[in-house]
Amino acid sequence: MKHLRAVNHKARRIQEHIENDVVAMQGPPTPAGQRPHVPMGCSIVFSPGWEVDSSGGTAGLCQPVERDLYDCYISCYWPAQVPDHMNNYPDWTAKCAAATKDWRNIDLVFP
Amino acid sequence: MKQLFAIAALASTAAAQGTLFVGTWPHQIQVVDEAKQKVVDHIELQTGTSHSMQISDDHKTIYASTIEKNGIEVIDVATRKVTNAFLLDEGGKKMRFSAWAPDPTGKSLYMIVRPIEKKIDRFEVGKTQFAIVDLAQKKIVKFVDMPGGEDAATGGGRGGSLRFSPDGKYLYRMGATITIYDTSDFKVVDTIELSKPQFPGMQNVNLGQQLDSLQEPGVLVSLFNSSDPVVHKNIFGIARFDLAKRTFHFTPIGPAAASMQGLQITPDHKTGYTVTTNGTGGNKRSEFWAIDIPTGRVIRTQEFDGRARYTFGMSSTGKDLYIYGAGYDIEVYDPATLKLRSTIDLNADQTTGMIVIPAK
Repeated sequence: MKHLRAVNHKARRIQEHIENDVVAMQGPPTPAGQRPHVPMGCSIVFSPGWEVDSSGGTAGLCQPVERDLYDCYISCYWPAQVPDHMNNYPDWTAKCAAATKDWRNIDLVFP
Repeated sequence: MKQLFAIAALASTAAAQGTLFVGTWPHQIQVVDEAKQKVVDHIELQTGTSHSMQISDDHKTIYASTIEKNGIEVIDVATRKVTNAFLLDEGGKKMRFSAWAPDPTGKSLYMIVRPIEKKIDRFEVGKTQFAIVDLAQKKIVKFVDMPGGEDAATGGGRGGSLRFSPDGKYLYRMGATITIYDTSDFKVVDTIELSKPQFPGMQNVNLGQQLDSLQEPGVLVSLFNSSDPVVHKNIFGIARFDLAKRTFHFTPIGPAAASMQGLQITPDHKTGYTVTTNGTGGNKRSEFWAIDIPTGRVIRTQEFDGRARYTFGMSSTGKDLYIYGAGYDIEVYDPATLKLRSTIDLNADQTTGMIVIPAK
């Protein structure tokens, strides 16, 4: 892209999008401006999630990912991806204290 | 006969080991015998999932905070029973608190709270304040505006961690700035600006997340990072706080790793251990560092298979190092070899740090 130069508004928007969005998985640490865009906020945060870790890869996730299910949940990382423990489904894990061992006992929830 | 003495000596060593208390999902505290390296009991919490715990200076009482409705539970260490439990939330008003500490009398908790009230069409977020919780009345009995305004509440641990002087006269808030309050009127008695040079050639001091007790009431230690003003090279060292005398000492040791966990010091105060991490994601590498405390030298390092996320701890005798958190087990490392020795299965996922109670 260094030989091309955005000259109008739309081209500049495309350039900004490319600079901030495409991130190689498991590459070396990327500069701050090139990290994946992770929306913040308790209800939508996905960092880290079951899909990717904070660097956009998977190697930084707990192994297996179930290890970290509850602690990440109460630390406000995965509240939107699991049932609502606070109000509607307080017993969704009543039969599963160690998620790595007992994850099959986690209740299915159909809102 | 020699064998008998050896067995007796081994038994006395084992008996001298202490007890671990770890909060686990969904609402329990597991009690682990350090000598047996097994869960020997558990405490059912009444108000929800424990997220943090504090221990009284006399090691007789554990205070646990629970997350669902901002609850407080008081646990008697000897009987392992909950003696007091209550919620701070009232109807649609949530009392989100971050830093908190029991006062030395055991009658009150001091915390930094931010009330959030559910209105008919919105949530109204209140201002960050100090709050005093009366444990007998089971409620907040006093709110005090943060001296210096809400911005003063910034820092480590969403407001910094709180500690009392042994006589209860002063409250320390450890954040980007160490602020000392008079507990009678919450006036600021003294501040230490960590961004300003503590010594020639040292600036931008950052304290580690963890403040560890030297097993002496009123004395805390922590790791710190700082950089020099010329080439900005990061170094680490040991910070010591005497909460009774209001004195602080920073001892630089050497080049800092990208991240360092809390400092754990053996009961004889001769050796300290920390865990360093370099790299991120799949390239993350974890190492134990052993530090000779009198000389301030790193005497031994050893790489180990760290988890993606973990907490570092030490047994009451200093003879075991613990890697725990993010999962159901505690890994036990030998401090002499810094190699994995065994694993303690809690059979429940951990949600808090660890409280270590030495044997009497």
